Amino acid sequence: MATLMMPNLLNFSNILPLAELEVGHHFYWHLGGLSLHGQVFLTSWFVIGILLIASVLAGRDRTMIPAGLQNFMEYVLEFIRDLAKNQLGEKEYRPWVPFIGTLFLFIFVSNWSGALLPWKVIQLPEGELAAPTGDINTTVALALLTSLAYFYAGFRKRGLGYFAKYIEPTPILLPIAILEDFTKPLSLSFRLFGNILADELVVAVLVLLVPLFVPVPVMMLGLFTSAIQALVFATLAGAYIHEALEGHGEEDH
Amino acid sequence: MFDFDATLPLMAIQFLLLVVVLDKVFYKPFGKTLDDRSEYVRSKRLGSQERLDQSKKMAEQYEAELAETRKRAQSIVATAQSEAQKLASAQMAEAQQEAQGQREAVQGEIDQQKRSAMATLDGQVDQLSNQILEKLLSTAR
Repeated sequence: MATLMMPNLLNFSNILPLAELEVGHHFYWHLGGLSLHGQVFLTSWFVIGILLIASVLAGRDRTMIPAGLQNFMEYVLEFIRDLAKNQLGEKEYRPWVPFIGTLFLFIFVSNWSGALLPWKVIQLPEGELAAPTGDINTTVALALLTSLAYFYAGFRKRGLGYFAKYIEPTPILLPIAILEDFTKPLSLSFRLFGNILADELVVAVLVLLVPLFVPVPVMMLGLFTSAIQALVFATLAGAYIHEALEGHGEEDH
Repeated sequence: MFDFDATLPLMAIQFLLLVVVLDKVFYKPFGKTLDDRSEYVRSKRLGSQERLDQSKKMAEQYEAELAETRKRAQSIVATAQSEAQKLASAQMAEAQQEAQGQREAVQGEIDQQKRSAMATLDGQVDQLSNQILEKLLSTAR
């Protein structure tokens, strides 16, 4: 039975371009001496385009009583503000809303574009289109920016006194405190990358095996994880910035 | 899977640009709208609270004035009633006195006429009795 079924399924998956596994293949662009992952940039421009078009469309003529898209975008902004406020506190959160909010929006729209849109229908010479957050370069870039952001926040708030946080409770923890600065971006980037890529792979494998209906619950789960991962990334970025602003010594929880 | 290349820095720069542009077209204008609205609602609520207090105070004042006026009206009515009562009783007494006087005068007149009538009657009785006597005497003769 199994031997009978397998060729059938494989043939079927050959008909559908949706079901292909191409991990590790990239659509390279060459810019001077640099090589780029073109598919990541293509989808990220799509995501950026969605964000900008939605903002511009909703912001064309804003009214005191919001309606339609303006209402939705105001809801989004209020959600982001609440997120930043919960992490950074009422006093400090305002200048960090654009950074944390853009992290959330970019990751969220990227993840959902990867989970909802059949990118694979569009054929590339090499590699395949997928969520930009499924590429390690994107997630590491975002995580390093988060690291820079919290260093910037700490130095701007407390100057060189920011270094005091490394030896603040006790100098014995100095190695661990330094290690934290490496584990933070590492965990941020790998959590996002791993979740998104794993989700795409699971869906792709399931589509390859059973193309109809069976992958749908996994896709739903993928939508859920994608949203959660965007929230987690933005929340953690906020928490790290808050930690840099407050320092270990004077934290009051 | 883990090949890092120039995608990383370019993506970072692109993301920072996105932050700046979204700040211009999304966070700033929409944040301003939200802040303006909450400010508007706050000021409106404050103003209406003030107006409500004011109107409550005015209502209380009017209530007090109304009570005072009512009391004054009652006192005016009471004094007017007592004055009218006094006036009425005085006039009544006067009228009664006048009636009494008139009645006495009339009584006196009646008495006098009665007396004069009695006197006339007495004279006539004497005359008639004389005539009767004369007639009796003449017949007896």
